[in-house]
Amino acid sequence: MRDDMTTWIVTTEPTIAPLCQLAVGERHAVVVGDCEITGVDKVTRLAISGPAEAYAPQVVAAVAAQPGDIILVVNNSVGRVYAGALAAAFHAPMLTGVRNIASGAAVLGRYGGMTFQDVQFDGVAVGLVEPGDIPASAQSHISIQAHDAHAIAPYPATCESEETNAHADINLNAARRIIGVGRGFVAKEDIDLARQLAAVIEAEVGCTRPLVEGKGWMERDAYLGVSGHTVSPQLYIAVGISGQIHHTAGIDQSETIVAINNDETAAIFDIADYGLVGNLYEVLPKMTKAVRQHKNG
Amino acid sequence: MNIAVAYKYAPNPQDARVQPDGQVDWSRAKPAVSENDPVAIEMGRRVAAACGAQLIGVCVGPQIVGAAMARKNAMSRGFDRGIILADDQSAQWNSTQIASALASLIQRAEDVTLVVAGDSSIDDAQGVVPAIIAGYLQWSAFLDVIDCEPTDDGYRITQRVHGGTRTVRVSGPCVIATTSDAVTPAVPSMKDILAAGKKPVDVLTASDIDCDDIGITTVGYRKPPVHQRKKRMFSHADELVAALYEDEVL
Repeated sequence: MRDDMTTWIVTTEPTIAPLCQLAVGERHAVVVGDCEITGVDKVTRLAISGPAEAYAPQVVAAVAAQPGDIILVVNNSVGRVYAGALAAAFHAPMLTGVRNIASGAAVLGRYGGMTFQDVQFDGVAVGLVEPGDIPASAQSHISIQAHDAHAIAPYPATCESEETNAHADINLNAARRIIGVGRGFVAKEDIDLARQLAAVIEAEVGCTRPLVEGKGWMERDAYLGVSGHTVSPQLYIAVGISGQIHHTAGIDQSETIVAINNDETAAIFDIADYGLVGNLYEVLPKMTKAVRQHKNG
Repeated sequence: MNIAVAYKYAPNPQDARVQPDGQVDWSRAKPAVSENDPVAIEMGRRVAAACGAQLIGVCVGPQIVGAAMARKNAMSRGFDRGIILADDQSAQWNSTQIASALASLIQRAEDVTLVVAGDSSIDDAQGVVPAIIAGYLQWSAFLDVIDCEPTDDGYRITQRVHGGTRTVRVSGPCVIATTSDAVTPAVPSMKDILAAGKKPVDVLTASDIDCDDIGITTVGYRKPPVHQRKKRMFSHADELVAALYEDEVL
């Protein structure tokens, strides 16, 4: 390992704390767009107009990684595009599920974290890391480097229109408590039972994939699982969720897991701290009532 | 003009077991066209139909992906032809090397202006291969795509973004990855399955193509540290809530 190695952090978001935590050596951030970041030694900022994905060539030019350096990229839709461009440009292995990384070696969670793989590599490596909930700790002296992005043209792409609903702004990564709802719910309106409990315990509501894709009952941003959000809240309450690996891989790092299911053989009970076999239509209102009573003394 | 769809033949991790040494036993898991790839194939098929293009399936995997059964399974979903790299060596490849091989197959297909892929494979679910293919081709890439239509000089792409959708207009070639629910894939009919056997498929090995040799080696596997769970069971909601307060979970 080189003593003077650099960890390059590529981001479009301020929530880079998990990347800073994994970083080794000097931290040099390449920030695309105008978000404010802290917790790094140097910043190269790239101004953009139009879709951020089109700026992959500029990102590649701004990351002057040397053999032994590592490049960590925020794992979101744009971050994955940058990571792909960087991996191809540096002929670098792409690492996901990074648990630990150093110059030339890493520990990776594979297949939704069911096994850990120890790898060694030559040269540069690119790692995708889930963003965190809060900005990295404040740091006062960051040297900002101007980057001459004009020398390279972005890919020719323009934004034609954007339709977003501000009310749909669920932030599961930041939530301390999450209630996950699954196929045990018979109708869309019934999810209100989970929302009522969520309201009294100050939790967000997430769901399994079938509720987003098969049924369209919930927004895509609420989807928890291996190809949706990976979360580690203080409390996760799984309601009407059987516990297939595609879902549990996204929630099994939660500090405490509570499972409510009418099937006592459901796999979710294997990873639960607290379990209740019962009909969620009876259990949820009773839990909401019990919490209210407790709060009212 | 050609449109390529990158698909994977993969086993379902639901049927895999982790052995005590951390190695994954896939022997009970039957590989098939990866769960969400039919969505990408369907979107590719629609774009190809709209602009009169040929639809080409490209795939990298172990020898089994070149076998008659796997070829038929894939070709019955609407491809005009296929270019497949079937080599057991690929089982050891990192996703960068897989993507580099796929980019090589796409270049071999010639005159490709759009590459479509699924959001991620069912087994590894990393969601990185489409973006690395774009990196090798030096094309733009857009992920979470729910709609794509050809324009005079490129494509109009609608993506799912946080809390909504965004439409982007791209000039020139590009790579897109679909969401898993972008379109509903057609189920192959008996006629499609019978016709699939007659579609031309080039089956290649690693020595036939240029692909980037990525220096990464697996030192070993191990079982992840088990998060010890309390596994306390309750029969009444009141008792459960009381325990959660008592243990200061709530």
